[in-house]
Amino acid sequence: MAGCTIFPAETAVKLTLRRRAAMIAPMRSRVACAAPVAAVVAGFVAMVACNEGLQPTPACPSGFVGICGTATVRGTLPDSTQGLFIVAYTTFPESIKALLTFQPLPPPAVLLPPPGDSTLFYTVPLPSGRYEWVLAVWQKKGTLKPDFSNADSLFREAGFYRDAGDTTSHGSGIVVVNGSATDSIDFVIDFGHMHRICTYFPPCP
Amino acid sequence: MRSLLPGALAMLLVRAVSAQETAVVYGSVRDSSGQPLRATVRVVNGDGASMADAQGRYQLRVPAGLVIVRVGLLGFQSLDDTLALAAGDSLARDYRLGPAVVPLQPIIVTAAKRSQLLSQVVASVALVTDTAVARRAVTTVDEAVDKAPGVQFLNGQVNIRGSSGYVQGLGSRVLMLVDGVPANQGDRGGINWDLVPLEDVARVEVVKGAGSALYGSAALGGVVNVITRDIPTGFHARGRVVGGWFADPPHDIWKFRDYRGAQEGLDVTTSYGTDVARASFTAGGWHSDGYREQDRRNHWQTAGKAQWVPSPETHVTASGSWASDQYETPLIWCIQGSCDDRGQAFQPFMIDASGRGAFTRSDKGLLAATVEHRASERFAWQARGSWGRTDFTDFQRTRDDWGAANRYGVEFRGEVHTPGDRILTVGAEGSFSDVRTNIFTGDPNPTSNAVRTHDQREFAAYAEGERQRGRVRLVAGARIDHIDVDGAGLATVLSPRLGVVLPTARTGVWRASAGRGFRAPSLAERFVSTVVQGIPVVPNPNLDPETAWSFELGNGASLSSAVRTDAALFWTEAYDLIEPTLDSGRIQFRNVTRARLVGLDLAVTATPPVAGLTTTLSYTFLHARELAHDTVPERPLAFRPRHLLTLSADYQRGAIGVGGDFRYTSRLDRVEIYEPDPRVAERVLDLRASAVWGAWTLRAQLANALNYIYSQVPRTLAPVRMLTATLAWTY
Repeated sequence: MAGCTIFPAETAVKLTLRRRAAMIAPMRSRVACAAPVAAVVAGFVAMVACNEGLQPTPACPSGFVGICGTATVRGTLPDSTQGLFIVAYTTFPESIKALLTFQPLPPPAVLLPPPGDSTLFYTVPLPSGRYEWVLAVWQKKGTLKPDFSNADSLFREAGFYRDAGDTTSHGSGIVVVNGSATDSIDFVIDFGHMHRICTYFPPCP
Repeated sequence: MRSLLPGALAMLLVRAVSAQETAVVYGSVRDSSGQPLRATVRVVNGDGASMADAQGRYQLRVPAGLVIVRVGLLGFQSLDDTLALAAGDSLARDYRLGPAVVPLQPIIVTAAKRSQLLSQVVASVALVTDTAVARRAVTTVDEAVDKAPGVQFLNGQVNIRGSSGYVQGLGSRVLMLVDGVPANQGDRGGINWDLVPLEDVARVEVVKGAGSALYGSAALGGVVNVITRDIPTGFHARGRVVGGWFADPPHDIWKFRDYRGAQEGLDVTTSYGTDVARASFTAGGWHSDGYREQDRRNHWQTAGKAQWVPSPETHVTASGSWASDQYETPLIWCIQGSCDDRGQAFQPFMIDASGRGAFTRSDKGLLAATVEHRASERFAWQARGSWGRTDFTDFQRTRDDWGAANRYGVEFRGEVHTPGDRILTVGAEGSFSDVRTNIFTGDPNPTSNAVRTHDQREFAAYAEGERQRGRVRLVAGARIDHIDVDGAGLATVLSPRLGVVLPTARTGVWRASAGRGFRAPSLAERFVSTVVQGIPVVPNPNLDPETAWSFELGNGASLSSAVRTDAALFWTEAYDLIEPTLDSGRIQFRNVTRARLVGLDLAVTATPPVAGLTTTLSYTFLHARELAHDTVPERPLAFRPRHLLTLSADYQRGAIGVGGDFRYTSRLDRVEIYEPDPRVAERVLDLRASAVWGAWTLRAQLANALNYIYSQVPRTLAPVRMLTATLAWTY
């Protein structure tokens, strides 16, 4: 008979296929082929998780005076973290003592980011004016001495805003607040590359 | 008389004995997706054969005993069925044939305005079969064509190899045909994809590259031909119920309603045909809540088709379709301050409050009649006439805009086959378009609410010859179009085309072509006079046609019995592209853009050695540049993605099928408005499943399964995840 019986059907009816190789060979190749197909499908699913694409993007509230933006957070927040702040200076401080001239005072704490890379939307109220240095400051657990002598061990610069025209080594993004919200002051906070105060005011002990 | 009686009695006796020694096998033959097949059912080890009818039904008388029945149809794997039958048995057997490993050469009717094998076509063609359409539980033609290789839809506007970009539906650079009849709108030049009920679509042919040498205006980037089903003989009916549910916004801060959006619809088709006359009728409608704020839509449609075949050489076809939509107009999404923004920079599911309450009523219809006659083996002709009508009103807070347009078309075409395998196609075509409107008035005062009428006439003649020289097939032709607006002659355009096809034994079939495409400005682009978001839009009656030279080198090959590839390098030089230009605080359509589009189209179809599994990959690389002009430096052409990748897979086992498509579109290098807005690449996964029980078919599709949130055009949210289920009954 030309062909082989796959299975006997009820009522004595049999389905036959035309002559072909034994079924075991196709069975192997099915498994061999299904595996990469499944892997490709799984790869796509893994590559594109649900609800990705555009995400909610908070905006500066209406009537708000100050700066807003998105901070892209990289690295892991240290366990010894006491707080994270974003502050602004009208000019780049020329001495350690000038570090106390930041705005706003007291600085509002930024919501601490979750573990891993993430983005933070922040708002910092500032009086109208021109600001040359907007930066994120990380604070270690501890108490700041009244004479500010342990500042170098407690604070780190964690990232700063740099505009397109900035050519300085320390970063100097010009931000102007003019009675309303200045949006899109976006920068990177990198906990893996934070800088001590003495980096800007050497020598480092 | 007496002498005849014994003979008659003897014959009756023989027939009675014969009937007792035979049995009857009956049932249906369908393909893996449940579509009926006109397959042959015959007895291998004896006499007897039958052919299934258009519904796939067959009846076969077989000798009693052990019988092997073979079911076969060209293009499908044949099936042998061994039956043990007693005399007088009547056994029902339904068969399902899987596709053959090496598929048949498809027949294409669009690329040369006549039937030809796909391997003989000088241009690249993407084919969307009715099986591919049926697999996707979609409601309009554009949703079915969306995943074709090299084809992209931007908010409903079709792009073939980056031709159109996005101009809010105006002036499509792709020509839509319905059974070969031009169907672009008479006033705006756009395409109504919902004009033809999806149930009536047999297949869609997408011819890529300039096609003006045969089709004239609008075929600058390509031609999409929607081909409706032939009407089968006998009585047939089909009903379909559709239900769908939209996903809620993925973030609470984006939620805009307290119920789940849904879509529901119903359509029925019925037909009756004999060998001489046939007719079909389809009617249906659907409602959608939409997936965003102010996005509800009601859609009603009907279509009919009648065919008269007075002789095998003569076919007369008349068809008509009408669709009516009433839909809310979402306009652009809300940005901070323009709605209840909840502190967000933008609210993609909500609309700008200035567009609140806007809605549109849109009616469109197409009537066409065609006479085809084959006078001899060497000569055939076809004549057609058509009338397309669009009627819309945009109800807005400020001023209602409206327009009623007609497009009348006629064509006569002859096809001559001469000795030496030469084929000559010649034809003449004419069209008349008019619009009565308060928005496309040409009034220099954009705030005027005057009502005006404008019209445009187009006359054309074309000829294309094809000749076989050895293995090489040569094609040469040209078309001349004259365009006349408001009675004043405006432009004459010559569109030539040259092509060659070279089949080789080792490297497949090579094809090369060069042709010119053009698009006459639509009446809307010439005469628009309105105000959009506070900016006046002023008319420009002196717009010239935009033109393009299109070159292509392609190859189609079978790498093995299971893998087929088609690749094409294309190069388009476009001149005087019409774009909206903002100048001195007003917008005007102008012939400003000189562009170059270079790229690669690649399609791979693989049938892995897993029974029932088919996979396809298509990829388009596009380098689209707007060349420097006036004070504008060279820059990316807006709304053209650099990479377009589609992966598809379908698996069929018995009556159950599953499949999916994944579409990746790279982030647009440039958009024309709202450039600083966030935009992302497109990553959309569609999943589908189907099951067939006799006359019932259930299909489900999970579109945008990963609920990827993106926009293709500025401030317009693309569809979110949607689960659709369709239940169809076929008689």
